[in-house]
This record gives sequence, structure tokens and C-alpha cells, in this order.
Amino acid sequence: MPWKQGYTISDEIGLRDEDVRWPDGNRCCVTVTVDLSLARGPEGIRPADLMRPEAYFAAHDGLDGLLAVLRQFGIRATFAVPAVIARLRAERLRGLLADGHEIAGNGLRHEDVSELSMEEEKARLELATSILTDATGQQPAGWFCLPRQEDPFAGGTISPHTIDLLIDGGYEYMGNGLADDVPHYWVTDFASRRALLTLPYYYHFDDQWFLLFPRRGTGLEHADDLFRNWRAEFNAQYKRGRQFNIVLHPGLVGWAHRLQFLEEFLTHVRGFPGVWNPTGAECARYWRTTYPASEYLKPEPSIWRDYPGSLS
Amino acid sequence: MTSQIEREIDELCAAARRYDARHQRIPDLTWPKGARIAVNFTADFDAMLLRRLLNEPPMQLAKGEFGGRVGIWRLIELFDSHRIKATIFTPGRICELYPQAMRAVARSGHEIADHMWEHHVPKEPALERDHLLKTAAALEAIGGRRPVGTRSSHSLGLLRQEGFLYVSEDAADHLPYYLRDADGANPMLNLPFHYAIDDAMFYSFAWLGSGNAAQRITDPDRVFDLWWAAFWQQYRVGGYLNVVVHPFVSGRALRIDMMDRLISRMKTLPGVWFATCEEVARHCTAHHPVREGV
Repeated sequence: MPWKQGYTISDEIGLRDEDVRWPDGNRCCVTVTVDLSLARGPEGIRPADLMRPEAYFAAHDGLDGLLAVLRQFGIRATFAVPAVIARLRAERLRGLLADGHEIAGNGLRHEDVSELSMEEEKARLELATSILTDATGQQPAGWFCLPRQEDPFAGGTISPHTIDLLIDGGYEYMGNGLADDVPHYWVTDFASRRALLTLPYYYHFDDQWFLLFPRRGTGLEHADDLFRNWRAEFNAQYKRGRQFNIVLHPGLVGWAHRLQFLEEFLTHVRGFPGVWNPTGAECARYWRTTYPASEYLKPEPSIWRDYPGSLS
Repeated sequence: MTSQIEREIDELCAAARRYDARHQRIPDLTWPKGARIAVNFTADFDAMLLRRLLNEPPMQLAKGEFGGRVGIWRLIELFDSHRIKATIFTPGRICELYPQAMRAVARSGHEIADHMWEHHVPKEPALERDHLLKTAAALEAIGGRRPVGTRSSHSLGLLRQEGFLYVSEDAADHLPYYLRDADGANPMLNLPFHYAIDDAMFYSFAWLGSGNAAQRITDPDRVFDLWWAAFWQQYRVGGYLNVVVHPFVSGRALRIDMMDRLISRMKTLPGVWFATCEEVARHCTAHHPVREGV
């Protein structure tokens, strides 16, 4: 087995608390990801997904409410936007940019790419990039592979080629990695140390798994658990001086009591000094400069051996 | 008709009696120095190995990888800060994936026990033995001691042959008990754990093939209350608690924080014996040995 391929994506030991530093003496980093996808499952956004009352709410009242709260607390977010949504709502995106938020990619139609050929995936990535660039007037720096509520797993989907294609496509970071709770390098080639910076994501801080999940009508409402998770993780990460990322869907978190919980959470955060709130791209640029892969990425040589009767 | 039903009832009773006969409870179990309760903190350090074994997609593997990069280190720090020796059930393969973390586990004096070679027990006896021996050798090479315990379904005969002292699986009793194999032979001490005192049951999405409608999204405050209630009930009656965590699950900052609060609260009470599984097992086998012919 070359290195630990098929087992790990990064080096063996994450950066320890005492080695994590944030700009200007800040103590903790808080990043907010807003997912503008309306996809239900792995096939990505279908016409029916856009023709639901929830979709209308997500694009209008829900988004307005969320933006008002973000504005009230001076929070800047990274919007993960499927290309079809960028085509549909280009004007809205330009408004987000003007407000200091970032626009990043999130699939062509937020589809599962894990079974696509490399050529097909490459073509879709290039098309998505050009649609996003046309809509916003600037090339996105970040790309997300966020999960959808009807996915069988809560981590997002990715193909064996995605990270290489993102590097080739000029992307600076991938936005939802699960292997650490600070930025880390996703290695695609051990020998050359070819890698893409990956920002942290964890599904316990993503609203879509808590709010009438798995679906309206039969799902259960756990907005209070979500809120307690946010508060507990923020408190713990603040103490450690690390990072906290939340993922929000305007169609979900934008509703009454959930917005109330979000406001309460942001009020809680505001009580702590030294919280840095960058966009994904700002966070990635800071990290790459401060912790360059050439110096900080230290994968150990593999001591793995293949045995008959064992996994390779 | 009637005789058919009678026959079925006899079969059911016979099955239950055969199963009963494989278990031997420990009457009047006492702990060293008059302790009221023994508490084992056990960590199943499979990281991404089980995800890999089940052919789950890359993001699931990365979720497990957190346990090796980050989570195990935090658990070591947590237990060390409380001067608690835990038991780390470790698949042999983890020694090849995270040798530095395993050396740190050993340096801190935690017990390293078997958790299968790559998180499954092969059906063929020769390969099963091969996996057990490979794991024992890997754990001994990295920890300096051959494991004496396992969390697995390895056959009890093989485990006894290889000098194992205990297993830690399932919960047929609150207290440690002796378990025999299907032939009624090979008694082995079991240190029970209950799935309700297992972090993965509360926090790990898609655990054991669970579908979306059955997801585990509990917050740590709720788990704190549940686990404290379990501890308190066992403390009152004088019992045993095995707390099962996974580095990729409980290594998350919010849950380390919760475990820290839980341990601190346990320590406010007198007579709590925090021990490794091996210590509990040696106490039980020395002072409450299996009774033959019972």
C-alpha cells in the first residue's frame, strides 16, 4: 500500500492546542458556512426540489431572516453555492459579496460525484466554476462537498479524483473535512506531498441533521440539541484556542425558534474576547501562510505490511 | 397439534437452560479496600478501520481518522489529568497506522488490550488464530506487554490457550461474570458494557448501519445526565460501570469537556475505584474465581 492510501488523508498527528495561533492575538476562530443548496439527496437539485414551499422560504424569508441575524452580530459567512443556484440568483450573490461574505462552490447541482469518471467530474467542475465566476465576477477560492439530508452518511461525498481536480482547478481549499477540527492538509500524493488545505466540518454542528430530520412531517425537531452542541463545542474550542465551524441552511435555521436559538448562540459568542471570524478563504490563506505544508505536513513513512487474509 | 406445541415449548425451555448454563454470576462481589464501585473507562481505538472494513466512503474514513490524529491524544490527556488508568482496546492494525499515539498510550501507563486485528474475527479457525496472534504481537511490540484482555467475539477456547484473562463484551449482568462457550467449556471472565453507556450510540451517524430516520444526534448534556444516573444507581447498590468511548467520537472537544465533568463529579464521592480492566479482572479471578460444578 502506498503510504496509508484508503485509510488516511493526512499526517498522523494533528496540530496540538498550544501550537495553534490566530492572527492579531485572537484566541479562537469561528467560521460560518451557509449552504444554499436545495438538494434532497445524492442526485443533486432536481426541479421538484425547487418547487416546494420550503425552497421558496429558503430563498426569501428564510435567507432574509438569517442575513439580518448575521448582520446584527457582524458575522461574515462563506456561502456554499451550487452552480445552478448561482445562475438562478446571481444578483443576490453579488449582494452577499458586497456585505463581506464569501461565495464558494458546492457542486454543479450539489450532486454526488463519487461514481463519476474523472473526465465527467472535471467537465462539471469547470462548468460550475465558470458559472460561479460569471455570476459573481470573481473565481471562487473554495469548494464544498457538503452532505444532503437523504445521503446515507453525514460527511459529504467525494470521488477519488475530487481533491486533485480542485488543485488543478486553482481552488485554495476544500471546505468540509472531518479528520481534524482545525484546517489540515488533504494529501493526494505522498511522494510529492501534493495536498489541498481542508477546513473543518462536523455534522453535529450542521443544522440539517437536527431540524425535522430526516424530513418534514415525520422527522423530529431537535433545535435545542443543536443549540447545546454549538454552545458546548464553542466553549470547549475557545478554551483550547482552536476553531469552531457551524453550517446553516437558510430554509431550516431561518424559521422562528431556530433563529432565536442562533441569536442566543451568537449573543453567547459575543461575550468572549478574541474571537476571529474570517471567511473560509481568509482562514485558508492565513493557515497556508502560517502553517505551510512544506514545514508542517509530516506524514510518517508507512510501515504497513500486506498479509494474506488481511485487508490491503 | 397439542403435542407439537408441547414439543416447541420443551425446545424453548431447553434452549434457555443451555444458555443460562453458560453464565455464572459472581455472588457477594466485593472490591478492594472496601470500594463501593469499580469504574472502567474503555476506549475502542478503531479510528477508521471499521469504516474501511465496511467499505464506507472517504468522508466516513476521514471522520474515523479524527480519532487517530486528534481524539486519542485528548483522551490520553483527559485520563492522565485525572490520574486514571484506562483500557485502550486496539485493533492490531492501528499499531501500523498510529504508532506514535500507541507509544504515548503505553508511556502513560494505560492498559492496551486486543480489539481484533482489523475489527473482525475470521470464521476459519486457523485465520482467527493468526489474527489474534498478530494483534498480540503488534500490541506487545508497541506497548511492551502482551495483552490479557479483548473486546471481540474471539472463541473462548482460543483466548484461554493464548493466556487471555478476560473479555469485555455485552451485558448479561451489571457485574463481571463468567461466560462459557456453547459447549459449556472454557469459562472466561466478562467485564460487561452496555450499549447505553457507549458514546457511539448517541453521537455517531450511521452507526452499525442505522438509517437516517434513526440518527444519533444527542447533545453532551443529555448524555452526561444519562451516564451520571447509571453511575449513581450502581454506586448506590455497590456495583460496576464500564464507560465505552471511541477516540473519533468522544475525542471531539465538546465531549472531552463532558467526560471531564463526569469524571470530576464521580471523584467527589468516596469509594470509587477507577481501574483498568486488567486490574478488575485480576481482582475478580483471584478473589471470586469461577466455581466448577455449579
